[in-house]
Amino acid sequence: VTSKRGMVATFSLMMMLTIFGGVVSAHHSRAGYDNKKTVTLKGVVKEVAWRNPHVYVIFGVKDDKGTVVQWTGELSSVSTMLAAGMSKDTLKAGDEIVVVGAPAEAGTPQSLIAKLTRADGTLVVADSYRSDTR
Amino acid sequence: VSHNVKRFIFLSSICLASVIALSLIVFAQGGRRQDENRPPALPSIQPPPGWKSCPRCQNNEDRRKARVENKVEGHAFDPHNLSGVWGYDGVGGDRGPTFRTPPPLTEWGKQRQLETVGAKNARGEPMHSKDTSGLGGGAPVNCDPMGYPRLYTYNYGFEFLQLPDRTLQFFELNHTWRTIWTDGRKLPENPPEPHWLGWNIGHWDGDTFVVESTGFDERSWIDGVEPDGGWPHSDQMRVVERYRRVNYGTLEVQLTVTDPKTYTQPWVTKLSTIPLVSGTELWENFCVPSDYNTFTNDVYLPATGEKK
Repeated sequence: VTSKRGMVATFSLMMMLTIFGGVVSAHHSRAGYDNKKTVTLKGVVKEVAWRNPHVYVIFGVKDDKGTVVQWTGELSSVSTMLAAGMSKDTLKAGDEIVVVGAPAEAGTPQSLIAKLTRADGTLVVADSYRSDTR
Repeated sequence: VSHNVKRFIFLSSICLASVIALSLIVFAQGGRRQDENRPPALPSIQPPPGWKSCPRCQNNEDRRKARVENKVEGHAFDPHNLSGVWGYDGVGGDRGPTFRTPPPLTEWGKQRQLETVGAKNARGEPMHSKDTSGLGGGAPVNCDPMGYPRLYTYNYGFEFLQLPDRTLQFFELNHTWRTIWTDGRKLPENPPEPHWLGWNIGHWDGDTFVVESTGFDERSWIDGVEPDGGWPHSDQMRVVERYRRVNYGTLEVQLTVTDPKTYTQPWVTKLSTIPLVSGTELWENFCVPSDYNTFTNDVYLPATGEKK
């Protein structure tokens, strides 16, 4: 039974890697981020910079020692975000969010946001830099 | 266990092969086209009641719905009426394909092209630092006018306003306009100042609106060049645009750029079609220097490692 489970897990992982690998290769790369890697962050919104060229969210994330580190999560242009279902009023300071995105190549606390949800799992941004939001 | 392992390998191989085959099909069709058939994950933000979306504020589902609701297909039209918002994502459906392959450059043209290529970061990636138009993340204050025809190729939506003596071409990107005089005047031989968007006159040739331009500021580019830089032009560039509304929902356009100082032959683009973006109106996509600078300094440069 254990071996079967192991196989299923391995198989699922293989599928995920294949599918995800395909998705990543379809992306246009955005300067400064390593979209071969994914970072998941739980934090609290401090500010939303709702302007062009790209909207970004400034949020605090507690590190291992409990110190709050200020992160910047880059989204897309204002018009693209509206098309993707996010408005200037969607997020407010104090909102708890979960960000999944590509980390900055420089190792700075920055991420190109792929998916943004509220702490309760409500979807806020499905994928800001994929063309399906267009 | 051995049987199970064999079965597992067999099933995995089939599934993996299918996924790879599917990925290849998706890749061959182009990501954009494939994405257009998929419903968006979340509905878009709708405009206030009585107002319309900006051309890029619609998602594909909004665009499809608007075309049906406004009966774009088969709609009656006057070929001499060019009203409506045209395009939202570059000319030809993807920003940049209009001026991909240039005619041979002159020696002067080659030199000018080299001068458009910007600096590279530590990893050897282009910083686009010579692109001061707002598109180059590595440029310090980058909201210089895009110039013409680059503004046309990077189309975020434009519309024509036809007046008795002139046609105004309004652009969503950079929130700017171009005046095309239709009162019979001729192009000036030696314009007193160069214009980023040219000195422009227009006339009808049958059902084709022909725009002729000269007197360009030579600091702008005809279009960008992958991966960095741009196709240059001189102040001697002349541009001829031919717009034809072939049906209510489609504008056909061809451009000819003649600039013997830069190119040994005229650059004639392929015939492009620009869709009517039903259910939209132009909003205010300014390039705001302070916003761009803040973004460059607080987001772009730290992420690339150019600024700690």
